[in-house]
Amino acid sequence: MKNQSNSAENGTQSSIGGLVPKWINLSLIVQDASFFVLGLIAALIVGWAVFPALLYSKQPQPINFNHALHLDSEIVDGIEGDTPEEKCQSCHEFREDGSFAGIPKLEKCTECHDDPESPLGETPEEKAFMVEYVEPEKEVPWFVYSKQPDCVYFSHIAHVKMGKMECATCHGDFAGNKNLPLYVENRLTGYSINIWGKNISGFYLNKTYADRMKMDDCAQCHTEKGQEQNNACFVCHK
Amino acid sequence: MKITRRNFIASVVGGVVGIQVTPLPWKITDDVAIWTQNWPWVPVPSTGAVTEENTVCNLCSGGCGISVRKVDQRAVKIEGRTDYPINPGGICPVGMGGLQLLYDNDMRFPGPMKRVGARGEGEFVNITWGEAYDILAGRIATLRKAGKPEAIAAVDGNVAGSTTSLLIERFMQAVGSPNYVRPASIADTYEMGNLLMQGKSNPMAYDLENSDYVLSFGAGLLEGWGAPGRVMNAWGLWHDANPAKRKTKVVQIESRASNTASKADFWVTPKPGTDGALALGIVHVLIGKGRIDERFVNGFTYGFNDLTSSEGQNQPGFKTIVLQKYSPAQVERITGVDAKTIIALADGFSKAKAPVAVYGKGKNNLNGSLYEFMAVQSLNAVAGRINRPGGVLLPGSLPLSPLPAFEPDEVAVNGLKKPRIDGAGTLAYPFAQSLINHFSDAINKSAKSPVDTLLVFSANPFFTVPDGGGFKNALEKIPFIVSFSPYRDETANMADLILPDHNYLEKMEDTVWPVGLQYPLYGLSRPVVEPINNTQNVGDVIIALSKAVGDATGSVFPWENFEEVLQVRAKGLFDAGGGLVRYNPSNPAWKFKYFDEPQKPSYGTFDEMWEEMKSGGMWYRPVKLATSWQGLFETPSGKFEFVSQKLRQAVSGRAALDQMGIRVAGVEALMGHYEAPKLGVDRSKYPLFMVPYEMINLTSGWIPSPPFLYKTIFATQLLKNESFAAMNPATAAKYKLHQGDRAVVKSPLGQLQVRVDLFEGAMPGRVYMPLGFGHTAYDEYQKGKGVNPNNIVKALNDPVSGYPIWWNTPVKLIKG
Repeated sequence: MKNQSNSAENGTQSSIGGLVPKWINLSLIVQDASFFVLGLIAALIVGWAVFPALLYSKQPQPINFNHALHLDSEIVDGIEGDTPEEKCQSCHEFREDGSFAGIPKLEKCTECHDDPESPLGETPEEKAFMVEYVEPEKEVPWFVYSKQPDCVYFSHIAHVKMGKMECATCHGDFAGNKNLPLYVENRLTGYSINIWGKNISGFYLNKTYADRMKMDDCAQCHTEKGQEQNNACFVCHK
Repeated sequence: MKITRRNFIASVVGGVVGIQVTPLPWKITDDVAIWTQNWPWVPVPSTGAVTEENTVCNLCSGGCGISVRKVDQRAVKIEGRTDYPINPGGICPVGMGGLQLLYDNDMRFPGPMKRVGARGEGEFVNITWGEAYDILAGRIATLRKAGKPEAIAAVDGNVAGSTTSLLIERFMQAVGSPNYVRPASIADTYEMGNLLMQGKSNPMAYDLENSDYVLSFGAGLLEGWGAPGRVMNAWGLWHDANPAKRKTKVVQIESRASNTASKADFWVTPKPGTDGALALGIVHVLIGKGRIDERFVNGFTYGFNDLTSSEGQNQPGFKTIVLQKYSPAQVERITGVDAKTIIALADGFSKAKAPVAVYGKGKNNLNGSLYEFMAVQSLNAVAGRINRPGGVLLPGSLPLSPLPAFEPDEVAVNGLKKPRIDGAGTLAYPFAQSLINHFSDAINKSAKSPVDTLLVFSANPFFTVPDGGGFKNALEKIPFIVSFSPYRDETANMADLILPDHNYLEKMEDTVWPVGLQYPLYGLSRPVVEPINNTQNVGDVIIALSKAVGDATGSVFPWENFEEVLQVRAKGLFDAGGGLVRYNPSNPAWKFKYFDEPQKPSYGTFDEMWEEMKSGGMWYRPVKLATSWQGLFETPSGKFEFVSQKLRQAVSGRAALDQMGIRVAGVEALMGHYEAPKLGVDRSKYPLFMVPYEMINLTSGWIPSPPFLYKTIFATQLLKNESFAAMNPATAAKYKLHQGDRAVVKSPLGQLQVRVDLFEGAMPGRVYMPLGFGHTAYDEYQKGKGVNPNNIVKALNDPVSGYPIWWNTPVKLIKG
């Protein structure tokens, strides 16, 4: 009986003004809650900070390419065009068969930077470019920010010429870049971060099409433009 | 503070709840799914600029036009060209798989190499081209200095008449060795037969596309005979999808139900080696029914009717002998084909508007029998099918310029006087230019190899010569072997020195008149990719080597490079005029145009022609009949000779006949006829015959099979590492053998372990074995797959030609 009365007393003592039933151990709850929150915070740190840091590798491009400089028609001859698209296509061109050449080959660069002995500017990047690539006629191993997986077929000409879309809509504004961004690659998938999007949560308040390049984004745009028929699987997955 | 179990669980629960509101689980799920789609071993095609480069396939003597699709510098696909006269759009499976021969580096030599392991092991170390030239040129110069240039021998598998083969032959003459040897192919049989009957050693020109009755004596029309792309296209023309429009019948004469036989309108099965008798049986019926072409036979042939000998004696002619010896009943006894069928074939042949009798033995790789060819060609002549549309045409030879003559130096003159090791051109084999099986025999029979240094070009005689392993044994005796093969083949693995050639897509090379084509065509292939390995075009190597050997040989090769030699020869094509270097598919080269203006060449100067040839890969003249019979036959009589006078000149008396292996006598020995071969084997011990056969989807020549092809092989031809011997169920039953059982096929020269395939399409008493399996070289896909029937072939000499009779080896079967 003594035991019973003890436990009753304990219960009475731990209750706050008798609002909490006697059988609830408040201190234990506080303890549980703090450990729960501790675990929660740790998980949030792991999930939001540690995980992304581990998942992605960051590499600079082999040579820094100054888009802003090269697109200045006062400095560079041959960069002409009324629209930004025409300017982009001075180097990122369509081949005769309509396929898109993507990142230009060395051949394109050496149309102007043809003599390794006499650089056109004064930047150390250009000198390095001359020594490492132009002189030995070696292709620059550029990282491609927007490289889609092999299972995706994407036609640039259909979007740029027929769809009259701007390059920047999907690729963002590269034209004003003085420095190439770091290439951030998913270690698991090997895809560039530009595909999933820089925001690891995948949620955006005011998403633009330049934020990510996932299948849903393609589909969303097709739908907005009244091109739902292009959301069929085999349009892109050949 | 002590952390209790309860605290721990609380924190884990907190962690689990917390992680749900981070991207980790959702992102990782997505990424893992993507990761599983990107295994590193899944090939991903490269992206880049897509180009198509036209060239000509050199994997067989067919020379089909091919287009190679490239992504940037990587070749990714080979397709047939529609703008090439031979193969409007089609190519064979080997040609389609050709990229594996380019990119499968396990099969290829990385550059010049020197052997370090035992012969056959394939252990080599890299050396430089300079070292390779020094070693070889030094060896040749030493032999020449010792006055023994004839101890240098060459085996050359390049197409006869190709510029590479001419350079190699010239090199051998310049160093002073008569021992230039070529593996015998069907083209050699045609050439010899043509020489004896028509007086010209021209290629055969079968006008298949215009024929309405194709009587094929063993030609594997769908197995790769002729130019495979062309023959398959012709087959398509014969077999119009609309049955009402179909007018061409195909009769396949072959003892096994090959693809061709299975798809033909009629399949006739004489015993292997009796095709000649069957042809003469048909001739017998035609003569008997008066269905011969009197105008041609009386006006333009020799030896059909009885002859008067130089002593004034009356001799029976072709007609008398055929009527005496080849009645349908007699032929039935020889061939096993019943008399009614022979009469039906004669009816079919004589009632058709444009019939043609085609002679062949499987693909082009191996030779045929001279007398059989002559018998079949006699059938064409009797029916007046020579120089007629849809028959056998006589388009003359390609007007290529010969290479300039040269004076060999004294060492060479003395060396060239020595007899050939293989006995070709002697009394026994007066018309053969080389006899590869006799070459190896001679080496095997002598205590010390008469050949000190053997050069092997575009050939793999270790594997391809049907001689029961004779060549392989000879290789073991030869002190020094040099291979110029781009591939790690069996012969190259025996070599001491490797000077690898480019792969066919990396080099310039010519194709001279594809086998069986009815109009003259010269194909020119060009490099479509940069050489992957440290290899050199063998033509350039010969030129450089001749200069390294010494001034005397170097002066014989005044050219800078191989392309210059090609141009020297092509000059003749320009000078002859009228050749076309462009092809419009709506204007097939085989279509007779009696009333149209001839097409005008698209070039004006030689340089223009040459540039167009380099990009288009062709020079040809569309099909044409010879308008005058005058000078068409260059035989002693100036006519088509049923009875060959050239042969009469070579044969003098019984002794010569015996030496040549001819069993009959008199006029019969001078015409196409049948004679049973002297087997020299106890038939009670070896009661069956082994017949090798060839397939369209497996190479059996010196070119390796692209590994893709092994995926197309039936499980009744190759199962894991065992190949099959096909036999009639009745034959198998005698040995209590069932489908899939293991058995040993034993000939007097060796035995092979096979599995049994019961095949109703096999002639009873025969065992059919596929050629192309049983490699001990190349890569993991080919090595150790099945057995090579060549290793047990006991070849007899084909009379007169001396080529091996490879289609009739006596064997026995042992269960287990």
